[in-house]
Amino acid sequence: MRNLFAFIYRFRAFLVFVLLEALCIYLIVQYNTYQGAAFFNSANRYVGRVLEFQSGVTDYFNLATVNSTLAQENALLREEVLKYRQANLTDSISQMDTTLLVATDSATVHPFSLHAGRVINNSVRRNNNYLTLSIGTEDGVEPGMGVIAPNGVVGRVKTVSAKYSTVTSLLHSQMLISAKIKKNNTMGTIKWLGGDYRTAILDYIPLHVQMSKGDTVVTSGYNTVFPEGIVVGTISSIVREADKSFYTVKVKLAVDFAQLTYVYVVENKQKAERDSLELNAGILPNE
Amino acid sequence: MNSTFGIRHIVQFILFVALQILLLDNLVLFSTGFCFIYIAFLLFLPIHINKVLLLFLGFLAGFTVDVFYDTMGIHAAASVLLAFLRPHILNLLTPRDGYDTNDSANLHVMGWRWFLAYASILIAVHHAAVFSLEIISFDWFTLIKVLFSTLFTGVVVVILQLLFFSVKRAKR
Repeated sequence: MRNLFAFIYRFRAFLVFVLLEALCIYLIVQYNTYQGAAFFNSANRYVGRVLEFQSGVTDYFNLATVNSTLAQENALLREEVLKYRQANLTDSISQMDTTLLVATDSATVHPFSLHAGRVINNSVRRNNNYLTLSIGTEDGVEPGMGVIAPNGVVGRVKTVSAKYSTVTSLLHSQMLISAKIKKNNTMGTIKWLGGDYRTAILDYIPLHVQMSKGDTVVTSGYNTVFPEGIVVGTISSIVREADKSFYTVKVKLAVDFAQLTYVYVVENKQKAERDSLELNAGILPNE
Repeated sequence: MNSTFGIRHIVQFILFVALQILLLDNLVLFSTGFCFIYIAFLLFLPIHINKVLLLFLGFLAGFTVDVFYDTMGIHAAASVLLAFLRPHILNLLTPRDGYDTNDSANLHVMGWRWFLAYASILIAVHHAAVFSLEIISFDWFTLIKVLFSTLFTGVVVVILQLLFFSVKRAKR
């Protein structure tokens, strides 16, 4: 027994080394597989506070860009409002007797609500990129919700604390987003292969599909994460490889991830209902 | 933990990790050159530090950066590896008459050749571990990233030594 202890004492450094490395590997595997299980990440309260302080300083340098994006978005929204107002003026249906009209069905009630959040931490040059937002459960954010910017898709919420949340960016090796080509509704999957943060791949487009450079790619709405029709990007190159049964389509992403300052977390009010229905029907929810 | 591990190293830890998180996170050269300056804390620790303590310090430093970077475990694993290899590299590079009791891992005390060999080996090992754990598989771009980042971090470490570890203080 004494020899055993002597042995352990002699190799204590090596044993501690092996133990710590095993712990690290466990952390890596756990963080990458099980969504929302991690406690130690940038959604942590104290970490979030440091990151918020940092972005409080650096945000002043992007104020001009933020302002112009907001102005553009405002213009777009105003245009839309005007359109509705115009339609409302010419439309006399609201003056008709209400008894003649059936109440609107549930599909037209908009099931999505947006929570605006400030990006306090961001990366684009690693292999697996994450963002940290300064909104959390107190503002209604939950793990699994989609995140969009004024001009396109950003990612998906991974973990949430009371005041902060961590978002898996589209620029993540394991992030897949269900998308379609707007022109002909062909469905495919968006994924990022690393490297350039402005381009991603649109996979699983069969060879018979007609498309051309510059076509818009939008989200498909086939899952409950993103609403249908949010812009992902535009097709920048189409290559037909001899040994593949799908096109290799490169997509120029609409969002400049290096410039993100404000994003919206999408809350789908009917997510639970739809997910449980699809699960009961034996369809696995696609990520 | 006696006088060899003093307040100076605690300050260095906070300083280097803060520098890493607040500033160097955004400083990536040509999207290949990363600078992981927090390992300078491990490099500048006293030569005769307890091996087990060194391992735990390595874990602590890596883990802190991991929490901010959302790369759970990757930097911790690489830093523990660095901490484990450090005593062996120090053994390998022992001067002919051994280390003096007041020697430290300092450019002015140990000289350019010793310091560059010591720092570049450990930095290269650490960076190789970080980038290969991040991508799991191997490709040539990773190798370029490792080489370029090692160079970048190495240069910054030398600059830190020249700026903040003056000859006068080293003599004391």
